[in-house]
Amino acid sequence: MSTLTIHDDIEPWLAASVHEQLSVEERAAFEAHLASCSSCRALHQEQTAMSKLIENTLADERPDFDFEQRVVSRFRNTAPQKSAFASLLANLLRTRATQLTAVAAVLLALVQIGRLVTDERPPAIYRQREALMTAELGKDEQRGQEPSPILRKATAAPNAGANARAQDKTTRAQSFAATGLAAPPPVSGKPAPQSAALPQQREAKLKSAAESVDVANAPAEATEAVEGSEPTDTTAMPDGSTGTGTAGGASRKLVRNAQVELEIVSFDDAVQKITAFAAEGRGYIATSSSDKQANGKLRGEVVVKVLPEKLDEFLLKLRVLGELKNQTLGTEDVSKQYFDTDSRLKNARVMEQRLIDILKTKSSKVADLLEVEKELGRVRAQIEEMQGALKYMDAQVQFATVTITLAEKDMNVPAAFLLKRTAQLALFSNDVEKTFAEAKAVVDGTKAQISSSTLDRDSSGEATARLVLLIAPEDADALIDRIKGMGRVQNYNEQTDRVAQGGSGMSENANVERDKVQLSITISRNEQEPALQTTSLRIATTAVTDKLARLKENAANSGAEIRSSSFMRNPDGQEIADITLRVAMKNYGALMRSFEQVGKVKDVSVQRQDRRGSINEETAPADITIQVYSEGRIVGDETGLFATIRRTLAQGATALMWSLRMIGVALAFLAPWALALAAIVWVLRRVSRRRAAVKDLKEQQEHEQRREED
Amino acid sequence: MDPSERELYRAAIHGDRDAFEMIIRSSSRTLFAIAYGILQSREEAEDVVQDAFIKAWKSRWRVREPEKFPGWLATIVRNRARDLIRGRRTVPLGDALDTTPATTPDSADDLSGDVRAALATLPETQRTAIALRYFDGMDYATIERTLGLTNGELRGLLGRGLQVMRRRLQPALAALNQ
Repeated sequence: MSTLTIHDDIEPWLAASVHEQLSVEERAAFEAHLASCSSCRALHQEQTAMSKLIENTLADERPDFDFEQRVVSRFRNTAPQKSAFASLLANLLRTRATQLTAVAAVLLALVQIGRLVTDERPPAIYRQREALMTAELGKDEQRGQEPSPILRKATAAPNAGANARAQDKTTRAQSFAATGLAAPPPVSGKPAPQSAALPQQREAKLKSAAESVDVANAPAEATEAVEGSEPTDTTAMPDGSTGTGTAGGASRKLVRNAQVELEIVSFDDAVQKITAFAAEGRGYIATSSSDKQANGKLRGEVVVKVLPEKLDEFLLKLRVLGELKNQTLGTEDVSKQYFDTDSRLKNARVMEQRLIDILKTKSSKVADLLEVEKELGRVRAQIEEMQGALKYMDAQVQFATVTITLAEKDMNVPAAFLLKRTAQLALFSNDVEKTFAEAKAVVDGTKAQISSSTLDRDSSGEATARLVLLIAPEDADALIDRIKGMGRVQNYNEQTDRVAQGGSGMSENANVERDKVQLSITISRNEQEPALQTTSLRIATTAVTDKLARLKENAANSGAEIRSSSFMRNPDGQEIADITLRVAMKNYGALMRSFEQVGKVKDVSVQRQDRRGSINEETAPADITIQVYSEGRIVGDETGLFATIRRTLAQGATALMWSLRMIGVALAFLAPWALALAAIVWVLRRVSRRRAAVKDLKEQQEHEQRREED
Repeated sequence: MDPSERELYRAAIHGDRDAFEMIIRSSSRTLFAIAYGILQSREEAEDVVQDAFIKAWKSRWRVREPEKFPGWLATIVRNRARDLIRGRRTVPLGDALDTTPATTPDSADDLSGDVRAALATLPETQRTAIALRYFDGMDYATIERTLGLTNGELRGLLGRGLQVMRRRLQPALAALNQ
């Protein structure tokens, strides 16, 4: 560091020097310069004095020794102390690790949900592991109990499962062999190929399995030692026949059953043959049932019990009997259930013995003895139940059950057909009740019978009658015609169904029978009948009441019925009379002609509705609506100039009021929008003004600061 | 920043009150100096420091990295102090600042007013550096770290600041020396 540089830039040096912040070399260089430069020396002196002065001055300003404590206590008083749980939660959420974990958990959950939705199975390796774990669990369970027969027997079993996993790790194979649970059941008729191929390896495995069992059941070692020799014996046996049901039965409890459905020519013949087959297979017929169908065919079920190893042979033989429709074969492994029950039974027996011992000692109180007696009863009931269950399972295992369903050929051909004829008739009648009574009377005289009859009257007093008849087929047509004649037929329809009995399809030689004819009759008043033709006309006249009377007279002459009639007089003197007539079509023309004589007929309109079905044109109703009216006075009461002016003014005032109202509506509609717009504009202006103000202030401050710095 | 210090700041950020109090104890004087550098008032600086700590506690989660905690504290103090300055702008300071001491006081005690006045004329950063140096006798390296300066910058800053003060105080100093 040259002295020249120090001299030119003396101030930082002076400062660092009085603050004693120069390094050793720097200080040497600086002191060397001071020694040679008097002006700098003077400055240094001044600087030192001033530094002292500043130090003294600022010593007063320096925070006192209490300062930190004050800050801390203020902090304690002011800063909120969260509850422990809340702070823990907050802190947890704050750490990166927790956030990552949460995200991972959410993702995992989503994946699992996705898997559930798509029904995806976990990969095979996991399934295998699961199976292994279940097997281990099973082992653990059994360890707790007394030495279970399953363990011993499993070691003796020609276990296909153990072989299949021969390549697996030794430990895994041991666990499988020891439990014998995860292995699939041996399939009959299919010799285990591996057992022949790998006898050496298998022997080794089974030995090690036996060892592992020994370790698991240390207290029972004595018995295990005897059993331990068994595996080698089994492997020494020639393979091939070991895979069948019986061999499996020694260690496993398998329930086999089959269902067969056959179509045969003769039921009795088939049952005989089945009995013979069963006897060959050292079996027997358990139950047999048959029933005869309407078409003379037999259908039945035979339940056969055969020895399990003869089952396949038996099933093959059955096929000779007829056409095989369906066959199912099932095997149920009840080993676990069986041996569980067995070990529980043993436990229960021990318990029973203990309770008996307690009873024998007789040292206890009577109440206790009663309690023991009760308990003993319960245990014995359990024992019996379990014995029963075991016996049942033994029986199930001992014999395979074959359920044969037999049906003779052409089972479904119908035996007969039945013709069912049903008819519906709707009638109009002038007097519903009378027609109803007549119809019933007619029925009484024939071989028909009434299955239901009702007469309803609605709120307006109109009656409707319903009859349901069952008529012998030969009488039906005659009776239906007679009833049709009692009124006007609105509609009539009938249908015939062919019902097959005891089967389906068409048979050429089946009998055809005719069932009774069912006839439903509805009788309603003919006023409810819609008119075939509707006519309306107007007659202008001066004497309305007079003409009306004549009209009515004409109507009565032509047999018309007056359905409604009304008369009205307007304030201006106009008279209007309305009259509606219903007349049979045959009298329609004559009646219309008679109106010509009454007055001038105007505005004639005719509407005709042709309906489907057989309508009697002669008697069908036609409706005629006539309006008889007189001309009223056309000019109103108020006439003259003043009236006109008044009316004009009134109309003008009304128009004015109406336009005022319209203006009001328009205002009410527009005002809120205008207000809203104004509000928005006001807010925007305020915001922009405020912004401008803030900007000004900032600029001002910057300016001042700059000035200050300068 | 050494690991133990880092750990202290981390704990404080995560809501450890004891750690935070420790930080208050260790850094409140530095922060006071910063506040004083801006405000030049003991009472106000103390208030600012107290407020700043409370504010820092409430919003401590904003700091993700413990290394940045001290700098963040200083920023809070600085901002609050400036807010306060802005608030009292209405009181005219200029008159007091611009007048150089005309009278020559006879003792060092009486010079303190002059020193304060001279200090007041300095820009904020220079004043803060001087306050840090003289309040706590802080070495340059620490001041640099606190204010985020290089060694050269700090020396220049202090040199200029002291030069200005020296010039202002020259008459008084001369009188003192006599």
